[in-house]
Amino acid sequence: MVTTTAPPSEPRARVRALPKAGMTRKRREALAAYAFLAPDTLGLLIFVAIPMVLAFGVAFFKVDGFGNYQYVGLANYKLMAGDDQLWASLKVTATYVVTFVPIAFVVSFALAMLVRNHFKGIGWVRSAFFLPNVVSLVVVGLIWQFLLVDKRGALSKILAPLGLGDVSFLGTPSLALGTYVVISVWFLMGYQMLVFLAGLKDVPKELEDAAAIDGAGPWQRFRYVIWPLLRPTSFFVVVNSTIGAVTGLQAFDLVFVLTKGGPARATSTVVLYIYEQAFTFNNMGYAAALTTVVVAILVVCTALMFGFTRGGRFDED
Amino acid sequence: MAATPSPARQFSRRSVLRGGLGALAASAAGVPLLSACGGNSSGGDAKEMSFWNFYGPSDDQGPQSKWFVDTVAEWNKNNDVKVKLRYIPGKDYLNGTTLQTAFQSGQGPDIFLISPGDFLRYYNGGVLQDLGSALSEESKKDYLPGLLEARSVDGKVYGLPMEIEPLALYYSEAAFESAGLSEADLPKTWDQTLAVAQKLTNSKRYGVMFETLPGYYQNFTWYPFLWQGDGNAIKDGKAAFDSPAAVQALQFWGETIKNKVAPRKALGDGGGDVVSNLGSGAAAMQQSGIWAVADLRAKAKNFKYGIIPHPTPDGGKPATDLGGWAFVANSKGKNPEAAAKFIAWALGSTDAAGVERQRQWNTVVKTNVPPRKSVQEAADAKGAFGEGVLKKFVSEIAPTGKPEPRFPPEVYQPIADAIQACQLNAADPAKAAADAAEKIDTFLKTYQGAPIS
Amino acid sequence: MRIRVLPVVAHVLAVIAILPLLWILISALKPAEEVFDFGWPAHWTLDNLRYVLLKIPMPRFMLNSAIVSVAVTVIALFFHSMAAYALARLRFPGRGIIFSGIMSTLLVSLPVILVPLFLVAKQLGLLDSYAGLIVPSIFHAFGIFLLRQYYLNIPRELEEAADLDGCGYWRRYWSVILPLSRPVLASLSVLFFLANWNAFLWPLTITRNPDLRVIQLGVSGMQGQYASAWNLILAAAVIAAVPTVVVFVAGQRRLVDAMKTTGLK
Repeated sequence: MVTTTAPPSEPRARVRALPKAGMTRKRREALAAYAFLAPDTLGLLIFVAIPMVLAFGVAFFKVDGFGNYQYVGLANYKLMAGDDQLWASLKVTATYVVTFVPIAFVVSFALAMLVRNHFKGIGWVRSAFFLPNVVSLVVVGLIWQFLLVDKRGALSKILAPLGLGDVSFLGTPSLALGTYVVISVWFLMGYQMLVFLAGLKDVPKELEDAAAIDGAGPWQRFRYVIWPLLRPTSFFVVVNSTIGAVTGLQAFDLVFVLTKGGPARATSTVVLYIYEQAFTFNNMGYAAALTTVVVAILVVCTALMFGFTRGGRFDED
Repeated sequence: MAATPSPARQFSRRSVLRGGLGALAASAAGVPLLSACGGNSSGGDAKEMSFWNFYGPSDDQGPQSKWFVDTVAEWNKNNDVKVKLRYIPGKDYLNGTTLQTAFQSGQGPDIFLISPGDFLRYYNGGVLQDLGSALSEESKKDYLPGLLEARSVDGKVYGLPMEIEPLALYYSEAAFESAGLSEADLPKTWDQTLAVAQKLTNSKRYGVMFETLPGYYQNFTWYPFLWQGDGNAIKDGKAAFDSPAAVQALQFWGETIKNKVAPRKALGDGGGDVVSNLGSGAAAMQQSGIWAVADLRAKAKNFKYGIIPHPTPDGGKPATDLGGWAFVANSKGKNPEAAAKFIAWALGSTDAAGVERQRQWNTVVKTNVPPRKSVQEAADAKGAFGEGVLKKFVSEIAPTGKPEPRFPPEVYQPIADAIQACQLNAADPAKAAADAAEKIDTFLKTYQGAPIS
Repeated sequence: MRIRVLPVVAHVLAVIAILPLLWILISALKPAEEVFDFGWPAHWTLDNLRYVLLKIPMPRFMLNSAIVSVAVTVIALFFHSMAAYALARLRFPGRGIIFSGIMSTLLVSLPVILVPLFLVAKQLGLLDSYAGLIVPSIFHAFGIFLLRQYYLNIPRELEEAADLDGCGYWRRYWSVILPLSRPVLASLSVLFFLANWNAFLWPLTITRNPDLRVIQLGVSGMQGQYASAWNLILAAAVIAAVPTVVVFVAGQRRLVDAMKTTGLK
């Protein structure tokens, strides 16, 4: 009667239950499922979906921050073309994504490869790599502000013998974004490493051993055995990394604490710009429109990524 | 492996489509929800009013916190409508979302603090209460000229300033001594500043410090350098930022960084935090306001320092910026009339207790120049400005000051961008000034609100 | 020979990775004047920690954070495991749509919905309360995703055995699935606890009462009041970070194990 939209994942062999009326059983199962799903679905609806939808809706209004709404149709969207600072922020975010995602990927992959096989002390080493992710972004911001204090911070003292003692990492526009990337990688490498480790555990040792017996060196084993099998994991990491880099806490909280988008707008990510529009300029309507556009871009990018790789499965290769 | 479905495929095609339709439908339904939220109860007669501020009651319960707590307690003793304080740490009050999210949902505080830069935003949003008859004529006349006007529109006063905070250049005696310099070397011109700062800069210390963090405060500290060349951001309702005065001021700040005599990032709370910078030896000269005197007194009693007026360019005239926060009442709050009365009583009372209360704020728990004549007299009688740094502030520095402009964000932002670009990114000052002026002009053409200056 | 080099490299990198954290710890134990001095401290002192714990309501903040973190973790795990079980194991109309819908919420992060979420919370009367801190934080799709992956990999036979015994769905969930999920629940609880202990933006928005401040607000607020006192700020940061480090170290073995069993196939 009701065609289920369940994906073709059911195993062929189905265990026949004890004789019961077929309809009632299906219905019981469905009801049970809805009951199980109810709390989370309701919660996500109320606390995520509805606010998102409201945010979309507000984009059609001019909102002054004091509860005064004025319908303006697509005016907010039309403003975007001429908004120089918006394009500058998009460029900052794009640069950040294009630098952060590959670097974090390579670093965490390398770390995972480093710690996949047991050695003495492996437990603490893995924990050490993950530890930066354990503390909050507030604390991360504090730590790095402290270490990067001009001239008197620890990093300046370390670099002083090299003549770089008065370089201001967070205060120089050309260096600030790079510094922010480095700090982000430090913060997230352990987490991505864990995901890779999990994926690596699924690479059957027999395959690697067989390849070794066949005379494949470590690099060849990596390229032809490990890397292909790790594709779904890699894909997940890249997608997650990109989403986080664009709209995640690292795109906002971290920048806010470290530089507030300065110096001279060098680290002004698009999320920070949206925040600024909403809370400094009180253009909540425009901020909502910007949000919609950013989320739309994310959806498109993610969909493209899924499309290119056939759902992360890389079926044909 | 091939049997497991790809949830992603369904996600990317179907949910977006359904999500889109759902969103359109829901937003139509959702908007009335929003409008119902905006502009809640207004003009009521509630018995309790909230007062949001960044002084108290704070965790460390310092004297400034105590002043707020005591003042409110005194009011509550004698009035039916009580005031309840809410402390929001300075950074969150200034840069956070607390005030904005509150106002956006009609939950703004009944009484709160604003700086001159915020005035127009709140006024144009219709949330400032006209103090009206709560403020007596006697009280109004007691304020120094220009102060109430900066917080008025069409002759109606909307806020009372707590204080006047002029800016000056602080210097560290120890730093000067260690560089073999004396009082004679204190700079009077921009060129001298750069030269002296050069001598004072070493591996542990910068010669001079200006604010580098973008924000209203940075603009506030930069304006004097614009005014010294007789420049202005807006003149007669049009952008006047594209001027030699602006260009040279932008260039001066840029040179301090380019010559490596000023840091790109201040310590502690930023460029105005004297205790963390000047006081810790990180800078030899630092621009800050009169509030720093109280801070140093409280946290660095033995630190030896002095102040000088801002150095001027060739052919320029002395200038400083007069900041100062004000109490305002929320016209959409729970009891705007009582709120107005509270403000007028707390800051504007002309009776002995009122004057004393204001004197305490201006000269005892904090150091700044009183906004009222009677308070100034009382302070003088107690010798508050009799000698030293404070005397210099009142006699030499404050008279050259102009009140902080009340630019809305759309005027503030282009100027801030110009300052940031020239100071930190070695941008061309002429181009930066021209760009900023153009943006300000575009904004002014469509601006409809209270007069900006 | 090459094989033995790698562990050494690993150890060295591990030390470099935690060096900033160690440095903060050491600096927090230095007196104020020495906080910027490079190198080993001349004097050790617990004064900073003492000040932060006694003079500032840090214990109160920690209590608030603990209440919120534990509550959210317990409730979230309960709800998520139920939902994940239904999505992984049960057949019902609309399963695909509901799953896609839930996953699509992963694209939405807090800064993006801050104001509307605040409005919704206000309408529901959650302003300035523990409920306001707890309830909205429960609902996040990530846990559902991981748990579903985990359940997809549980052999059906175990469940079918229960079915033959005449168990209803609730019994199946409660007595079979839930106990089997202990490993992944253990590690998710570590992740959830960390995420909630470290939360900043939402508590900042939803609470006003100073007594409701969570630990991150307390630490961040210190930068305003004690701006020049880096020794105190770092001490507060250390105190804020210690519980997360402890929880992590206690549960860290679980994390890798659980990640493995989700089988991102």
